[in-house]
Amino acid sequence: MSLKSAVRETLTGFKSLLTGMRITAREATKPIITVQYPHETLKMPDRFRGHVQLILDPETGKSRCTACGLCVRACPSDCLEVDGIKREGEKKKSVTEYKLDFTKCSLCGSCVEACPSDAIEYSKAYNVVSRDRDDFAKMDLVKDLDAKAKVWAETHPTPPAAPAPVAATPGSPTPATSAPAPAVATPGSSTPAKAAPAPVAGRAEAGTPGSSNPATPPAPAAANSPTPSSSIANAAASTGAAAGATPSPQPESKTT
Amino acid sequence: MNAFPFADYLVTAIFALAVGLTLVGALVAALSTRIIRGVSGLMICCVGLAGLFYFLNSPFLALMEILIYVGAVCVTIVFGVMLSEPDEPAEPEKPGRALLWGGTAAAICLAVFLGIAHLAVNAPWATPAKLTTDGSVRAIGVSLLTTYSLPFELISVVLLVAILGALVIARSGRTKE
Amino acid sequence: MSFLALEPIRVLLYLVGICAFVGGNAAYLVLAERKGAGRIQRRPGPNEAGWAGILQPLADGIKLLAKQVMVPPGTDALLFRAAPLMVMAPPLMCLATIPFGDTVVARNLNIGLLFVFSFGSINVMALMLGGWASRNKYSIISAARVVSQNVAYEIPMLLVVITLLMITGTMDLNEIIKQQAGWFWNWNVLKIWVNPLMPVTFVIFFTCMLAETNRAPFDMAEAESELVAGAFTEYGGMGFGVFFMAEYANIVVGCCLATILFFGGWQSPFGALSDGLWGPIWFLGKTYALIFTVIWIRWTFPRTQFYSLLNLSWKILIPLSLFTLLLTGAMMKLPLLFK
Repeated sequence: MSLKSAVRETLTGFKSLLTGMRITAREATKPIITVQYPHETLKMPDRFRGHVQLILDPETGKSRCTACGLCVRACPSDCLEVDGIKREGEKKKSVTEYKLDFTKCSLCGSCVEACPSDAIEYSKAYNVVSRDRDDFAKMDLVKDLDAKAKVWAETHPTPPAAPAPVAATPGSPTPATSAPAPAVATPGSSTPAKAAPAPVAGRAEAGTPGSSNPATPPAPAAANSPTPSSSIANAAASTGAAAGATPSPQPESKTT
Repeated sequence: MNAFPFADYLVTAIFALAVGLTLVGALVAALSTRIIRGVSGLMICCVGLAGLFYFLNSPFLALMEILIYVGAVCVTIVFGVMLSEPDEPAEPEKPGRALLWGGTAAAICLAVFLGIAHLAVNAPWATPAKLTTDGSVRAIGVSLLTTYSLPFELISVVLLVAILGALVIARSGRTKE
Repeated sequence: MSFLALEPIRVLLYLVGICAFVGGNAAYLVLAERKGAGRIQRRPGPNEAGWAGILQPLADGIKLLAKQVMVPPGTDALLFRAAPLMVMAPPLMCLATIPFGDTVVARNLNIGLLFVFSFGSINVMALMLGGWASRNKYSIISAARVVSQNVAYEIPMLLVVITLLMITGTMDLNEIIKQQAGWFWNWNVLKIWVNPLMPVTFVIFFTCMLAETNRAPFDMAEAESELVAGAFTEYGGMGFGVFFMAEYANIVVGCCLATILFFGGWQSPFGALSDGLWGPIWFLGKTYALIFTVIWIRWTFPRTQFYSLLNLSWKILIPLSLFTLLLTGAMMKLPLLFK
């Protein structure tokens, strides 16, 4: 290597070092772009595959699942458990139990592919954490759905399927407060079969002039929640409402 | 300098520390069976020597002692130890032979030590009327380039030869057989 | 008060102050480093402990102090324990001669520069003994790297310092600073009428300082990706903490030295306002600017390969520093011939 090329190489090398330092200095003055995790969380993209969850039909506020069991058959890891009952006045079964064993699930998505009624989807939950193994081994998707149904009911004042109570009590304050009450006021009972008469009672209470006090109905629901508050920390789901969720079927269809 | 009540004791203590470091370091260097501890002992000894040089009013020499002997020579020795293959443990010699060699070595060392001590005690040291140099950098530089210029140049020749020798040894492994 | 004015007491007090200075610097330079790294990578860095992470060093320190100092079986226990002390003592010694202001110095020696270098050279020995005593192959590889790196970079560094010595004619650090009085073009780094390559000299010095203190991009001694933590691999708790503090203390010493030798120490850049309290302010300001540059460099460049590290020293820095040495000598002596 001649002296000239050595000098040139040294000079260009030094210049490239300075360029690098200029770049880092420029970057250092720009704002921070990282997500401050515990304080803020990312919104997962549409194609993110979390664990499966039941879809809440935005029109009815219920699950579209008919407990047909195709997803159970499609699952290669045998980690789904579905049960449903046939309610009177309905053509199809409705789901009463949908348990996912997330410890075995490989997130392959066969269940989502197999579902004929588009009742399940990938959730956007990516920081799924618990201290209890059962929260993963027996992930109760119906419970999550009920929690969402509660929120849904609060934001949808008039369920089209149940116009009767609104008409029956014209003196009730606003539909926004009175109507969701029956949806929420399902006394918790672990077996869905026994739960069938209960909503009627709740309905009757709600239909009485007592409906002007909407704060009372949710209280027994929260108190009767069958499991202690071991809900999975789930940033994507609305967390607060999950505590009082019960695995009960949708009641208002029953009353009509 | 204003008087410090225990100045004398302090100076004596520091001098004792320097002497102690030198002796302990030398003993560790000589007696330790692990070579790395031996080098550490040598290092301690050099630091102690530096302290003694400082007491002899030659801080430049003291610092050079640390810079060269601790910072360079000891490091080079440890580096050499690290890079060298561990030897097979030598077969223990017969007690008779060991005693013979050990005794001879001890006798020679004792003789040399006694001789030097005798010289040191009895030699007619000429006490200089004043400090010949102040031990400063300038004085050392001047004496190196005037009075002692021949040894200085000869040392540089020795270093040159050493570098050439190192190059020859290092190159020899790379030439094609 | 008269008791405090006594020389040994004064020096002792200064040493206590220096210990506090080094400890505080080590703690908060770690935070500054992590913050700087964060900013360069566009994240905030530690920001949970206290306001903007201001208590983070405290938390780190408590954590390290609370941990047991393990001596792994099979190590040379004595050397293993001695190495952290040996690595911490030299920078403390060096700082004792650093003049932070005209009169703010623990002990001004007329050979202060040599003092700093001679004690700085012990650092290598300490790292090497620590690596060797750990009885861990990573540590030994790291120790070998430390030595060859330090030997390689000590040469250009000393050559550069000799160049400066030829210009200043003294090893007294305070005297060197006083020679750079006046406007900032009197600083050694800009004295291009003495030697047109003076800025290059500073770059060589700074590069060597980075290598001597084992800082990125020359942190071959604790190359995390290949050597776990290098010579500190087997150290836990405060043993590791002391090594870490020593690294930062060495950076502080190196940057102080660069400030003194090239940037006029406690002199202000415009010839006034450098006495009294202003001296330490200028000095620390310049030093921290250099330390910030060190951090900046670390988070800009990736670690070099080892042979290119050695090539840089032996093929570029040493010839270059020799050339500046000769050039300075020629520039100083040639005018005398034509008188």
